[in-house]
Amino acid sequence: MIRWKADRGLEARMLLTMFLLAILYLAFLAVLVSQGVSNMVIIIIMGGFMLLQYYYSDRMILTSMGARIVSESEAPELHQIVSRLCAIADLPMPKIAVVNSSMPNAFATGRNQKNAVVAVTTGIVQRLNHSELEAVLAHELTHVKNRDMMVMTIATFLSSIAQLLVRYLPFMGGGGGGRDRDSGGSFVVVFIVSLLVWVLSFILIQALSRYREFAADRGAAIITGQPSNLVSALMKISGFKVPTEDLRRVEGPVSALFIVPALTRSSLMNLFSTHPTLEARIEALQRIEQSGAI
Amino acid sequence: MGFLDSILGKTRLPDAKTDRLFAISTASVTMEANLDLVPDEQAGVCIKPMESSYYESARKEIEGLLGLSFKETGTSFSFQRDEYGYAWVVLTDPDFEDLVTNIQMICQILMEQGFGTQLLAAVYRFKGEVTAYWIYSFKLGSYYPFVPKPGKQRDTAMEFRLKAVMQKELPIEKDMAKWYPMWGMPL
Repeated sequence: MIRWKADRGLEARMLLTMFLLAILYLAFLAVLVSQGVSNMVIIIIMGGFMLLQYYYSDRMILTSMGARIVSESEAPELHQIVSRLCAIADLPMPKIAVVNSSMPNAFATGRNQKNAVVAVTTGIVQRLNHSELEAVLAHELTHVKNRDMMVMTIATFLSSIAQLLVRYLPFMGGGGGGRDRDSGGSFVVVFIVSLLVWVLSFILIQALSRYREFAADRGAAIITGQPSNLVSALMKISGFKVPTEDLRRVEGPVSALFIVPALTRSSLMNLFSTHPTLEARIEALQRIEQSGAI
Repeated sequence: MGFLDSILGKTRLPDAKTDRLFAISTASVTMEANLDLVPDEQAGVCIKPMESSYYESARKEIEGLLGLSFKETGTSFSFQRDEYGYAWVVLTDPDFEDLVTNIQMICQILMEQGFGTQLLAAVYRFKGEVTAYWIYSFKLGSYYPFVPKPGKQRDTAMEFRLKAVMQKELPIEKDMAKWYPMWGMPL
């Protein structure tokens, strides 16, 4: 078993975000309840719907991504890497799926550790070398180990309801509160509150998702013991490459114009992004390397 | 250089930035402790091509000066041309401190001779599990790692590791798009 040294700052931010989400949702429920019980019926129906989604989401995701579960004989290298990583991370062996796509990508799904699926695209397998692929798979396995699928489903549950209310309330002719005299008023309140909850929870969920990504990067660094492999993999996936053009040719008499891939940064976009910026992730991984937390 | 020079139209290319070159001397300790990389007895200075008459006179000058001072430190040196037409002064010395001091001195001499703008890079070789280079760009005034693999490939992961570990001690170029490799160096 490996030492799993925690990042207290990250944990604190994660807890704060979850706390804010919980407060937001409680307020939302309070408003719904105060505006009539019939809305609660919606929640129960939606709850059932979400439960179903939670149960079948892995299959839904795999189908929508066109991922195919591969056996050990079909992809021996992937199985070998994953089984070794699982042994280190103390995880049951997940199923492995391959997506036939040149886009370099990988993802993990499944409602719990026993039903986990780790999927990679053919593009990522081709582009990364063995140790980089290992780092990416360790990142996905950390998502499984941290039960991120469950965390995010719970986090998005009420947000999805708010979203549905915003979208369909106008078509439901004033919601379910038709028996009330002031149904028009409560309809507006529910609509506005739902909209607010949807927007706020969206931002909070994105923040939570980014923290889970940092945590998964950290886990990958710890499992593989080599943060730099994940850095290298992230750079490759994002299309950034250290130059291969020789310095003497660049500095030479016939100098060429180079299109330098800019690592753009935008804080507003960050707020609405599920993944942290490449720089932020690399920065975090370098701190792990320097601190010797591994 | 400055305002007066501009007025008088004395345009000059920016001179080589050598002030942070010396930082490597203390960095080798950390490199050995944390990365198992030790100095590989060789270092070099890469100089942009210049007209051969200038080159010859500079070369004679350097040879004369180095010949004297290298007797003390026991450093051996050679002049070489690479496939890009660049000139190299390659030093060999088992003592890393001597290597650093002498590289510094060569740069000093070249700058005094008016070749400051011709200085391209200083390179230190390290060995361990892999052969790694620290390239000092005189234009950037900073170091960056270079770990070549067969077939003009780079060991990017190792380079990031070098950066992460050495960041506190060495002035490392932040913009990785400027980490230009130097293939087939004479050291």
